[in-house]
Formats: sequence, C-alpha cells, structure tokens
Amino acid sequence: MEMVVVAPPAPGTLEDLRRRFFATPLQALLSLVSLAIMVLLAWKLLNWAIFSAVFTASGGPEACQAAAGACWSVIAARWRIILFGLYPFEEQWRSALACVTVVVMTVLSCIPAFWTGRRIGLVWAAGAALYYVLMKGGVLGLPYVGEEAWGGLALTLFIFVTTCLIGFPLAICLALLRRSGLPWISRITGIIIDSVRSLPLISILFTFAIVLPFALPQWLVGDKLYRVILGSALFFSAYQAEIVRGGMQGVSNGQEEAAMALGMNYWQRIGRILLPQAMRNALPATINQFVISFKETSLVVIVGFFEILASGNAAYGTGEWRFAYVEVYAFIAFIYFVFVFSLSRYGAFLERRMSVGER
Amino acid sequence: MNSTQSPGAAVRIENLDKYYGTFHALRNVNLSVERGEKIVVCGPSGSGKSTMIRCINRLEQHNGGRITVLGTELNDDVGNIDGIRREVGMVFQHFNLFPHMTVLENCMIAPMIVRKRPRAEAEATARRYLEKVRIPEQATKFPGQLSGGQQQRVAIARALCMQPQIMLFDEPTSALDPEMIAEVLDVMVTLASEGMTMICVTHEMGFARRVADRVIFMDGGEIVEEAPPEEFFTSCRNERTRQFLSQVLGH
Repeated sequence: MEMVVVAPPAPGTLEDLRRRFFATPLQALLSLVSLAIMVLLAWKLLNWAIFSAVFTASGGPEACQAAAGACWSVIAARWRIILFGLYPFEEQWRSALACVTVVVMTVLSCIPAFWTGRRIGLVWAAGAALYYVLMKGGVLGLPYVGEEAWGGLALTLFIFVTTCLIGFPLAICLALLRRSGLPWISRITGIIIDSVRSLPLISILFTFAIVLPFALPQWLVGDKLYRVILGSALFFSAYQAEIVRGGMQGVSNGQEEAAMALGMNYWQRIGRILLPQAMRNALPATINQFVISFKETSLVVIVGFFEILASGNAAYGTGEWRFAYVEVYAFIAFIYFVFVFSLSRYGAFLERRMSVGER
Repeated sequence: MNSTQSPGAAVRIENLDKYYGTFHALRNVNLSVERGEKIVVCGPSGSGKSTMIRCINRLEQHNGGRITVLGTELNDDVGNIDGIRREVGMVFQHFNLFPHMTVLENCMIAPMIVRKRPRAEAEATARRYLEKVRIPEQATKFPGQLSGGQQQRVAIARALCMQPQIMLFDEPTSALDPEMIAEVLDVMVTLASEGMTMICVTHEMGFARRVADRVIFMDGGEIVEEAPPEEFFTSCRNERTRQFLSQVLGH
C-alpha cells in the first residue's frame, strides 16, 4: 500500500509576518514603533548622504557648507590623495595600474583553475614584477619614484599582499617545526611563536623600522618599507602558525600512518595528505586572520607611511576641507568594506567547495 | 610449513622486543613467514598482535631483535624503510582513506608519486583493482559518501595499487557493521587464493579456518601458540588459547 504524505501548507508571507510581529496588541505596537524609528533613521541617512548632499567639487568648500547634507565634493576634490598618497601627481596613473595589478593577481590566484604550482608561481612572479616596475619606475622611461613617496590604497594593498605572501609560508614552516618530533626544535619554535604573539604589532613595526638599522650591517638594512613588511609578516606568521597547527591537530594520526604505509616520504605526506586537510580545517580562522591583517595595515602610519587611512587624514586635514572629515572616513570605510567583504565571501565560497568530500 | 628459517622468507622476525615506556609490549617474538603464506594472528586485546604487524612496516619502531622483510633488514636507514613500505601494503581497522580525494585519486596517488608511474597507467591500475574489489562504479565518489564496507574495500584496492608483495591486515573488519564484514572477507579470500603473502590480525575464525596456513595466538606480548588451523581449533595445547577460543567461538 502506498502512503501519501501531505506536508502541512506553508504559511504565506503575510501570514508569517502577522504571526511574528503582530501576534498581540502590545507586540503590534512595539513593531510599529520600531518600524517608525527605522524608517526615520533611514530617511535621515539617505537625506544626508544623497538628497541634500553636494557631489561636485565645482562649488568648492563654500557650496558644501551652505548645503544641509553630506559634502562628497571633498572626495571629488581629494580622491587622488586618498588613493595614491604622496605619489607624484603626473605619475599617479602608474599607482592606479599597480592597484589593478594587485587586485587582478589576487583574484586570479583565488580561482581554482590556477591552483597548480606553475600557474600560481607565474601569476605572482609576473604580478610582483609588474607592480614593482610600475611603482618604482626608473626603467622603460618611467621616472623613478622612491618607496617613501608610495602611499594610499596602492601602499595598503602592497603591504597586505606581501605580508600574507611572506607570512603564510613562514607560518606553515613554524607550524611544522612546532610539531617536530625533536623536543628541542618544537620547544624553541614554541618560544619564538609565543614571544612574537606577546608583543604588540606597533612595537614590532617600530623595532623593524627604527631600531633594526642600528643593529644590522649597512648592506642588509634595505628600505624601511621592506623592513616594516618583514615585521608585519613575522607577526602574521606567529598567529597563522597556531591556526595551521590547530588545523593539523584535527587530522587523525591514521592519515599519516596510511601515507607512510604507502611509502610516501615526509614531504609527500605533508604536502599531499596533512596540509590539504589541515588547511581545510583551518579555513575559517585563516580568513579571519587575513581580515585582521588587512585592517592592521593602517598601523604603519606610526613609522611614517601614508597608507589609505593616513592619506585620508591628509586629504581633509589641510585647511579648506577640514569640516568634511565624516565624508572622508565614510569613503575610506567603504573601500575597506569592499575588500574585506569580498575576502569573507571568498572564504565562504572556499568552505562550500572544500566541503564536497565531507559526509 | 613450519617456522624453520629459509633464505627466501618474506618476513623474518627474530627475538623481537618492543617497549612503550616501561610497558613490555612484545617479548622475544619469533616468526617467519614464507612467500605466499597466509598467517592469521589472533589474541585478546592488548596482546601485542597489532604492535607486531605494525613493526613489520615500521609504523612502530622495535627496541630489540631483528626484522628482515624481503631480504632487507629494518633499521634506521630511511631508504630501507621506504623501500620496504613500497613492497608491503597495509589495511587498517579504520580504513584511513584520504577524505579530500576521490576513491580513484586515493588509489592513484601513491603509484604516481612514490612509484613515479604516469597518470594514465596509474588510473588504469586503479580501475582494475577497483573492479577486483567490486566497486568500479564508486570511483568518482569521495570516501565519506561510501559505506564502511565499501571504504574498506577501497582501502584494500589502494594498497594493492602499489603492487605489493606482502599485505598486512590490522583488524580489517573490527570497525564494520556485521552485514558488511562478509563483503570485505570475500575480497580477502580472493586475494589469498591468488597467492598473496598475507598477515592478518583478525578475530574472524571462519576466515582463519578457510584461508590461513598457520594461526598464531598471542597473549601478553608473546606468541603462545602457532599451528595450522585444523590443529589450532581442535587440539590446541595451551590453556590460554583454549580459554580465548571458547570466548570467540562460544556463541
């Protein structure tokens, strides 16, 4: 005999709303009051941001001060400082192209089709070379621009990407050393990781930028920018190493035993069996770490670099636009949001993709 | 066959001792396995049977005595160890398939990266062995999508793809639901009939009776009894063996 199971009818949207928000008179009242407050706030915000706002820079700061709404003319007038910092005005197209290079390179390496050693290596080598040539110049008829003049979004992206690029492999090395079978190796690595984690990032940046040159021989000092990136990569790797190690702990011993029994050597076991599974376990925490690092790039301002936030300060800080700081920060917040939000969504995509093999 | 030692032995274990800290896990174990011979090892839990076969491919390091596998002695020489592991397949109680790879990839990876076989050849071999363990249609699935019995058969195929000369089975049916035990044992019986050298730690006494050339009973880290199956099940000499058999066969 066949049983016909009829699911209870799903409530309609209206019915569902009524049940959730208007079940009793008191609840209905509270719902209406909350709705009114939200509409009012939304209206105020829209009115400020769009309807009463000034968008063109033609009227100058005076037109803004006369208007009731937001003064987006400050962005129209000063976007170049925010995006490119102190980079020479006529050369700023190079900085813009460099930003595009970093974004394209990052997007390409996020696409699974590029996940072979050769392709990803090619993308990064080409991208890094292009970025460097564009930003620094001195060849191909491009005028030379020193690192001290780099700034704005281009600098923020550069610091973030290089920090991750150096920090991530370093983190994996530290994690592997920390689970070494030789007690003195794992203990020393543990001490290094814990020491770096115990220091504030600002003090590390300061040490690498200001103190290190006194301790190093001249030929090893390099530009301040690269020392700062190294410091920030070290900091990143200390946290990321613990995240990777946590991911490794989630892989059962049986996995490594099975790989051994098949005759795989240490690096084959690590590269093919342990790390792919560990990284899958560690993915949510890893994305978190990337997001934090992106936002922490703003700390390089203390050693004198004008990344996007500091450039924003400069954009409104000089005289006539002084009143328009809210708009400048809103614009910068929007840029951060675009990058960090894309990063998070990419993390979610990876999680879905990697969970294919799970039960 | 008895354990007088001949030069062609597949595995020869002499005076093997193994400690975990102060716990004496294996005490002066001696065992010789000829090529093509099938050995079933049984005994109560904690008797050292798993430890013994895990010493044969160096998943455990022994503390005393000698182990010679296919004429090569197992010592600290990593080249020796890897060489032996290539020739000795192992099947685990909990399958230990690689969950991030498909069934086919599980079977192809070791031949490709350890034996350096070309992809096409590795895939052909993998499909042949998946056929042999009767699950060719599952090749593109992930281990997590298979039943326990299917996973264990994939694990057997994965080990066979390395074309080993010796197969070790460490309680291959202990983690399976009862209705899946037969499908795994069938594959093992077929393998035995084709002349594979096999050392199986198992409590499946029916399998031992059907397949084994010798049954070994271990207790307290020692080999207590060693006999062909018919003799082992009917007229064992040792009191501990009799007690164990009455427990496994009693109901």
